[in-house]
Amino acid sequence: MPLWSVLLAVLLLGPALGPGYVLSYDMVWVPDLALRADALGTGSGLPRAVPSDAVVAVLDEVVPGMVLQKLVLLGSLVVGGLGAARLAPRGSLVGALAAVTLWQWNPLVVERLGLGHWPVLLGYAALPWLVGAARRWREEGRMPGVLPVLVVVASLSASAGLATAAVLLVLANRKDPAQVARVAAVALLANAPWLVAGLLHAGAALGDPAGAAVFALADEGALPGPLAALGLGGAWNSEVLPGSRAGVAAWLSTGVLVLLVAAGWRGWWRRLGTREAGGLLVLWWLGWGTAVLTWAAPAAVGAVTAAVPGAGVVRDGARILVLCAPLLVGAASQGVVEARARVARAWPGPVPAVPRLLLAGVLVVWPVTLMPDVAWGLGGTPGGGLRAVSYPPSYEQAREAVESAAPGDVLVLPLSSFRAPAWNGGRTVLDPLGRYLGRDHVASDELVVSGTVVAGEDPRVQEARAALAQPDPQGRAAALARAGIGVVVVDRSAPGGEEAGAVEVAGRRLPVADDLVVVEVPGAVARQVPRAWVVATAAGWGGWLVLLLGPLLRAGQRMSHRRQQ
Amino acid sequence: MSAVLSGGIATIFATVTTTVVGGVVAAVTVVGLVNANTGTEGPSPANVNQPVVQYGTNG
Repeated sequence: MPLWSVLLAVLLLGPALGPGYVLSYDMVWVPDLALRADALGTGSGLPRAVPSDAVVAVLDEVVPGMVLQKLVLLGSLVVGGLGAARLAPRGSLVGALAAVTLWQWNPLVVERLGLGHWPVLLGYAALPWLVGAARRWREEGRMPGVLPVLVVVASLSASAGLATAAVLLVLANRKDPAQVARVAAVALLANAPWLVAGLLHAGAALGDPAGAAVFALADEGALPGPLAALGLGGAWNSEVLPGSRAGVAAWLSTGVLVLLVAAGWRGWWRRLGTREAGGLLVLWWLGWGTAVLTWAAPAAVGAVTAAVPGAGVVRDGARILVLCAPLLVGAASQGVVEARARVARAWPGPVPAVPRLLLAGVLVVWPVTLMPDVAWGLGGTPGGGLRAVSYPPSYEQAREAVESAAPGDVLVLPLSSFRAPAWNGGRTVLDPLGRYLGRDHVASDELVVSGTVVAGEDPRVQEARAALAQPDPQGRAAALARAGIGVVVVDRSAPGGEEAGAVEVAGRRLPVADDLVVVEVPGAVARQVPRAWVVATAAGWGGWLVLLLGPLLRAGQRMSHRRQQ
Repeated sequence: MSAVLSGGIATIFATVTTTVVGGVVAAVTVVGLVNANTGTEGPSPANVNQPVVQYGTNG
């Protein structure tokens, strides 16, 4: 089983596992991520990378960022696949192998990999294990020791944390109020860092309604969004859509999956029992229903995100489809077992070895057969797929220059969020420069999708824009310094970089090669984080640490007791 | 006698059908995977030379 899972993962990631960093859309990894205010949640922008950035910043002190990224990508696929094998009927190797393939080789995994949503993939990997842990908790009445760690790993972003909380709450024993309360407490503590940070930024957490339309569940070629969602597809960005999903293979794939789920439904329900199967059905409805809502009524979703702080977390409709996966994979793997049994019953006499093996092979590999073009780093996607690349030497020089500069945050120019650098093969990525430089930074958080501009929320970006609009270099430098900016870094190779570089800011120009310009702005006023923010953030992280370290400390105590006895 | 014969024909027919289906699926899978691995690699066509690099494209 592990061998098949690793083989599929390596086949899918391919060149992404080579030396270098995989930089794709929202996936930005750097050699040494600093533990900045942004990462903890006290920055000026919405806490989009809380707690994931802080976790990476701590872990990459032990494991180099490049290696850590490979471990996360490979690990999330393999751990999820091995967990999925447990959703299959016991004792059926073919059913388990089919579950692994379906879990690891589907549009959701491919599209989230392409979009760089690795915390979502980690949450997805933990899902089948959470289902098992919740079952043990219901049956034994005691929280499994591994559950808090699982929940923490599965909650490294807001959307992943919400999906994880939904799984825990739906699968808890509702007849046991104490268990429900503990489940709620675990979910709350695991999500505390981003929840607290989100509340502190509530004033800026109202989303641009335009975002709901562009990030909604999307059609895949001729396959309407709701049907694509049945097979876990429908991500908004057609640049990560494999060619095979835009054609007849997507219809076939959806059809085969629905047939297998239908074939296995009764056996699956009987095997799991009404409590668990019903819970997974509720989760499926929650995932599919929410996704389809973003497709059917984007205006209404937009109105909600514009009125309710933080509601924008659900605007990416296909992301919530992770909730559908346990039911689909469990029932489909049951369907595989039922299909083999039906063939055996219909066969005149005992089934010879060759047809038996061929049938098993078809039932196990069909997801790969119908979506083969994603192999080897999502090569079949228009966005260019996943490749490991090296940062140019100028990035390291810029980091050293910024380290030596006077205090103050970094302003990254030009004021646009994404880059498609030649050294990354022209593939789109969220500008990695700010994260690479190691200081808190101000960068555009405006998003452009098919020409539609989705406004950002960070008020400091507007402050920086106003400062740059001053008529002379001295005026600009003074306004930037008042806004807490101590260094301006211009990427002249980015679209708009030449124009941004032409807007002079008075200050000392630090020597950096190639296309990066680093200017030290004198007299920056350090940005003050209110004391109440610091206290609230510390409390959120404190709860998170208690949840994470509590079971480890208890296990250590138990071991030491045993040794003394 | 005729039952044995028809049973034998059915077995042969089922075996041939399964082999053909299995063979086709195996061939399609292998060809698809090989094509994916040997496809030409180039820069993302969507964003090169645009005034602003877009986050993505709908539709």
